[in-house]
Amino acid sequence: MNKNDLIIRVAGEGGEGIISTGDFITQACARAGLEVYTFKTFPAEIKGGYAMYQTRASAAPLFNQGDTFDILCAFNGEAYDLNRSRLRPGTAFVYDGPGGDFEPDVPEGVHAYAIPMTKTAKEMGSIKAKNMVALGALSQLFDIPEQPLREIIAAKFTKKGTTVLESNLNAFTRGRELAAALPKTDSWRMTAPAEKRDVVVLSGNDAIGLGALIAGLDFFAAYPITPATEIARYVARHLPKRGGTLIQAEDEIASLAQVLGASFAGKKAMTATSGPGLALMGEMLGMSFMSETPCVVVDVQRGGPSTGLPTKHEQSDLFMAIHGSHGDCGRIVLSVEGVSDCIALTVEAFNLAEKYQCPVLLLSDGSLAFSTQTVPYPEPADYPIVARKAWDGKGEYQRYVITDDYISPMAAPGTPGGMHIATGLEHDEIGQPNYTGANHEAMQAKRFRKLDGVVKDFAPVEVDGEGDAELGIIAWGSTIGVVREGIARLRAEGVSVKGFYPKLLWPMPVEQFEAFGATCGKVVVAEVNYLGQLAHFIRAETNLRPESYTICGGLPFTPAMIVSKVKEMLR
Amino acid sequence: MNCAQTHLHKVELETKDYKTDAKPFWCPGCGDHGVLTGMYRALAEIGVDPNYLVNISGIGCSSRLPYFVRSYKMHTLHGRAGPVATGVQLARPDLAILVNGGDGDGFSIGGGHMPHLARKNINMTYVLMDNRVYGLTKGQVSPTSQRQMKAYTTPYGGVEEPLDPVLYMLTYGASFVAQTLATNVKMTAQLIKEGMEHRGFSFISVLSQCPTFNTIDDAKSFKGSSEELQDNHDVSDIDAAMHAVNMAHKNGKIPVGLLYRQERPTLDERMADLVKQAGGHPGYDLRKIIDLSRP
Repeated sequence: MNKNDLIIRVAGEGGEGIISTGDFITQACARAGLEVYTFKTFPAEIKGGYAMYQTRASAAPLFNQGDTFDILCAFNGEAYDLNRSRLRPGTAFVYDGPGGDFEPDVPEGVHAYAIPMTKTAKEMGSIKAKNMVALGALSQLFDIPEQPLREIIAAKFTKKGTTVLESNLNAFTRGRELAAALPKTDSWRMTAPAEKRDVVVLSGNDAIGLGALIAGLDFFAAYPITPATEIARYVARHLPKRGGTLIQAEDEIASLAQVLGASFAGKKAMTATSGPGLALMGEMLGMSFMSETPCVVVDVQRGGPSTGLPTKHEQSDLFMAIHGSHGDCGRIVLSVEGVSDCIALTVEAFNLAEKYQCPVLLLSDGSLAFSTQTVPYPEPADYPIVARKAWDGKGEYQRYVITDDYISPMAAPGTPGGMHIATGLEHDEIGQPNYTGANHEAMQAKRFRKLDGVVKDFAPVEVDGEGDAELGIIAWGSTIGVVREGIARLRAEGVSVKGFYPKLLWPMPVEQFEAFGATCGKVVVAEVNYLGQLAHFIRAETNLRPESYTICGGLPFTPAMIVSKVKEMLR
Repeated sequence: MNCAQTHLHKVELETKDYKTDAKPFWCPGCGDHGVLTGMYRALAEIGVDPNYLVNISGIGCSSRLPYFVRSYKMHTLHGRAGPVATGVQLARPDLAILVNGGDGDGFSIGGGHMPHLARKNINMTYVLMDNRVYGLTKGQVSPTSQRQMKAYTTPYGGVEEPLDPVLYMLTYGASFVAQTLATNVKMTAQLIKEGMEHRGFSFISVLSQCPTFNTIDDAKSFKGSSEELQDNHDVSDIDAAMHAVNMAHKNGKIPVGLLYRQERPTLDERMADLVKQAGGHPGYDLRKIIDLSRP
């Protein structure tokens, strides 16, 4: 059987080359023209612990990591133990043996291939080559394109010298030979695509960095935190090429403070963090809103509360993103579905921040952070860029003047006559402290009413399906991609179901939520958190009373979970 | 000073030209009036163009100062003036950055930021207005309060030892450290002027009496215990600076004058070098970066 959608999972001990093996497979598939969507889990510790890298490859577009794997490659006994329950009839299973640290009790119907990875690598002189033996075997067994793989291995190891390169290529070849000697009993094969498209392969975190560069990022400040740090790595590598500035701050309070300083100075500025960092930024978000200083804050969510599950997936910062700060504090909150959004919505986050002069939070999540995906080549000129409203230099400058659209023109330092104060104290139109009730009411109204335009800027929200449906699913973040596939499968079975995929979470597009709800018999909100945070806001802000479908086990939903939940609800 | 002072755009102005219409809100007899006067004088003597001056503060009595100075300015959060100023400075190295704030703002809630301003050598002038008490919240002990001070939350007297801001900043690598008294406007003006002309992080501690909440550190006692540095004090010698402060401590004295000055690259200069190495410029073709992610 040929399947136009294959999932390969490589699992073993962290440090054994699991991640690089997965990367090689992913890059080779993408180079051969296949779409890829990867999924990784790794321990919070640096050395040891279970690591897993899963590559889903297909000639058709992919929206999520899939239900489970078709092919498992286990480097050790732990990887086998942890995945054994998923070894169902028809699954292919490649493992380290003989000579590995375990003897599998292969379930019936599973196609097992014993490759002596450890033994062969040792014989060839270096245990480090274990993953290359495995990669060669996988390439032979499942038609992972050999030529692209050789090119990518060469590109990676050439700079380490010919000896290293040769030994890796030899191990790869040996792996292929070992696999070729085994009888092939399963029928999994990569299917080559009909045509190649112009794509790039990026992780969610790298794509956010790229989006920021496209938006015209000048200044980036951040403090290291899992799972957001790769954004800083990407920016650190490429921002200097554009003449921009990156600083690693002493903490997250300082990073947002630096961002506000740079923004006041007239530059486009952002920071990236995870939940614990966002919690520290709460007071400074209020300063951004009160002083109407634009800023972009990326929160790559992880399992919480407190230190929580630092390397695991969760969508549980929505409450904090929308309301985290003292006083009545407005902001705009966006969330991204996949890598393509990570580029486009980061640009959008800057545009909104510059236009509305307020904090814009962009929510990503732990699995998307490290998921590499193929996306169409992002042509920089295709992304519209918005500049902040600038003072025209006429008359007396009033920084906080109340205008028709409630947005006041800005003047960067160095503008003659534009001197003003950016202040967190309540102030009047020129920025002088003013604590009268009438002034506070007028200025709060100004700061909130300027955001009235945001929903319009962002309409329409994507609706998946037409007309009436028995059931509607609302999802946000990377859960959207899972719901898309779940809905497609349900439709194929004749189930009447629709999807609603908001990317702007605050201010809420209330009318569109309600219009969607009006076409659905029942509504369910699927999200990866305990409390049902989006469902909570929907109940509070709209006339909908959705059911909440939540999980918080550190992993994303799968399409199969969505399918069975819908069936259960419609039973 | 042999460095090009690109962070100081100059114009010819008088002291009064730096005043705003807002009237200082401090109590009569507060040392902060003297600091402000000294600051006006320093700005006029240098001739800083107010359009290229950014005056930044946190929260506290002294942090209201920017409202009284004609410039671009930011009145930020408690303890956060330093990092906000860092952002302004790195984003726009052509601006003159003047930060001021109190002892609680800079050395309690904001204490974690001070080492990084110093070691990174951010090109700004930080004027500490140290009254050794929390004024705006009506008189609690601060990290620089003398231990025996009876105050709002220490009715039986305090139990904690104070820290010394100048020793703190010398330790963390500030490239310009000085101390003066608010009652000595002439020296305050002179040190702020030198600090602003210094390329790098300049820290000027001004002991600024609080006549309302701190009765043990009044103008008279500050003056009585102050001791000018010796004529032969070597400002380029960090050991001499540390020694001067430690000796003064032993004798119950407050050393005043320029303690230390060091010429070394600022963070924005190092970053500019980095951009140069990367061949960076705003027109760099983004497609070259995107192409790196082709499979």
